[in-house]
Amino acid sequence: MPKISVNPITRLEGHGKIEIFLDGDGNVANTYLQIPELRGFEKFCEGRPVEELPRIVPRICGV
Amino acid sequence: MKTARRIPLLKKMLSQFGIEEDRVRLDWVSASEGDRFATIINQMTEQIRQLGPFSSNGGGEHG
Amino acid sequence: MAKPKMALYWAAACGGCDVDVLDTNEKILDIANLVDIVFWPIALDFKYHHVEAMEDKGIDLCLFNGAIRSTEQAEIAKLLRNKSKVMVAFGACACFGGIPALANFTDREEIFERVYHEAPSNNNEKGTVPLLKTSVPEGELELPELFDTVLTLPQVVDVEYFVPGCPPPVDLILKLVDLYARGQLPPVGSVIASDKTCCDECDRVKEEKKISRFYRPHEIITDPKKCLLEQGIICCGPATRGGCGMRCVKANMPCRGCFGPPPGVVDQGAKLVSALASIYQGNTDGDVKRMLEEVVDPAGTFYRFGMADSMLKRKRLQKSRGSVRNAKD
Repeated sequence: MPKISVNPITRLEGHGKIEIFLDGDGNVANTYLQIPELRGFEKFCEGRPVEELPRIVPRICGV
Repeated sequence: MKTARRIPLLKKMLSQFGIEEDRVRLDWVSASEGDRFATIINQMTEQIRQLGPFSSNGGGEHG
Repeated sequence: MAKPKMALYWAAACGGCDVDVLDTNEKILDIANLVDIVFWPIALDFKYHHVEAMEDKGIDLCLFNGAIRSTEQAEIAKLLRNKSKVMVAFGACACFGGIPALANFTDREEIFERVYHEAPSNNNEKGTVPLLKTSVPEGELELPELFDTVLTLPQVVDVEYFVPGCPPPVDLILKLVDLYARGQLPPVGSVIASDKTCCDECDRVKEEKKISRFYRPHEIITDPKKCLLEQGIICCGPATRGGCGMRCVKANMPCRGCFGPPPGVVDQGAKLVSALASIYQGNTDGDVKRMLEEVVDPAGTFYRFGMADSMLKRKRLQKSRGSVRNAKD
């Protein structure tokens, strides 16, 4: 199916792309939102001293 | 003696990198202790052989 | 004459550096008057295909923030490098790896395991994980591949200038733009910050650097006028480049090194091991043992922002890797 990609999505925080699949008539058959990033805070915060976490996790989102 | 404090701290930090503490050794040998120097070097060489090659996958390879 | 073209992009980032540029407040209008911003995902609706269509070196100045940890981020870094005359590693992540580079203590498999399976808040009974290619009834979806190792921008493309900090202070952004506008950028490879250390810039009273024990920041109430390190609080100031205005120390929190190593220091963490162990008083085995217990997380503290930039770059990978990729290819 023909596909329109909106990449990257803009004017928000974070990365994303939208794939829009069109049917034979040119109408939207389905749309998918994908997030092409992962930094792994859930894992790399393990082992850090607890009092340092308030200085690490704000870097999840700086907005 | 600064070195006596630096090396243990370095070893602790290196262990967080997955580098075995036995890969670093601190010893004190004077210029007149040639035999002792040779013994220590031989011991360390054998110790490193037992530990095996160091493949860090860091520095050169990415992925 | 046409205005110079500027692009801003974020890789493995948090958006803080982009908000930082917006924090120039009314001066952003001066910047907008000075340049044409042709790509800036947080604020403008340009797409990758717009950048691809630009002529090589058509962008005059590119501020690239965020670390590189996926194929997409590496591709866009290379794309923007081709299209830009001047590439600036903007912010601690692009310069040194930043907070995302703490992922170099782990690897992709461990991250996926934690994020998609183990995490207690998960609701993922089917065990769905992201795949590089996913078939859906309408066609195929693709995702970029994540690297095991987080890279700095200069490890992927050539970079002309570095603006460190998490985020860089607003006055450094304005300094960069001002120098650029006046055609007075420093020699290529320069870091747009101070050439001294944070200690040189810090106005706390420094007497004698001899400490009998380290304290974790919550263990004592510190004197706000005296050097934190002299009070036993581990502060990364001695091995950190200055120019940040000592924002953290002024808020009574020890420096954690977001401006990277000062000139002459190749490895920030090694320098800190050396500096801290030197000023600790005590030579007996008991003293050394105590010191080791008091420094709770040396690697994570001394390389808080600089894991990707360190000599070792990452914790040893446990498994053998099938294919080895050189990010500069």
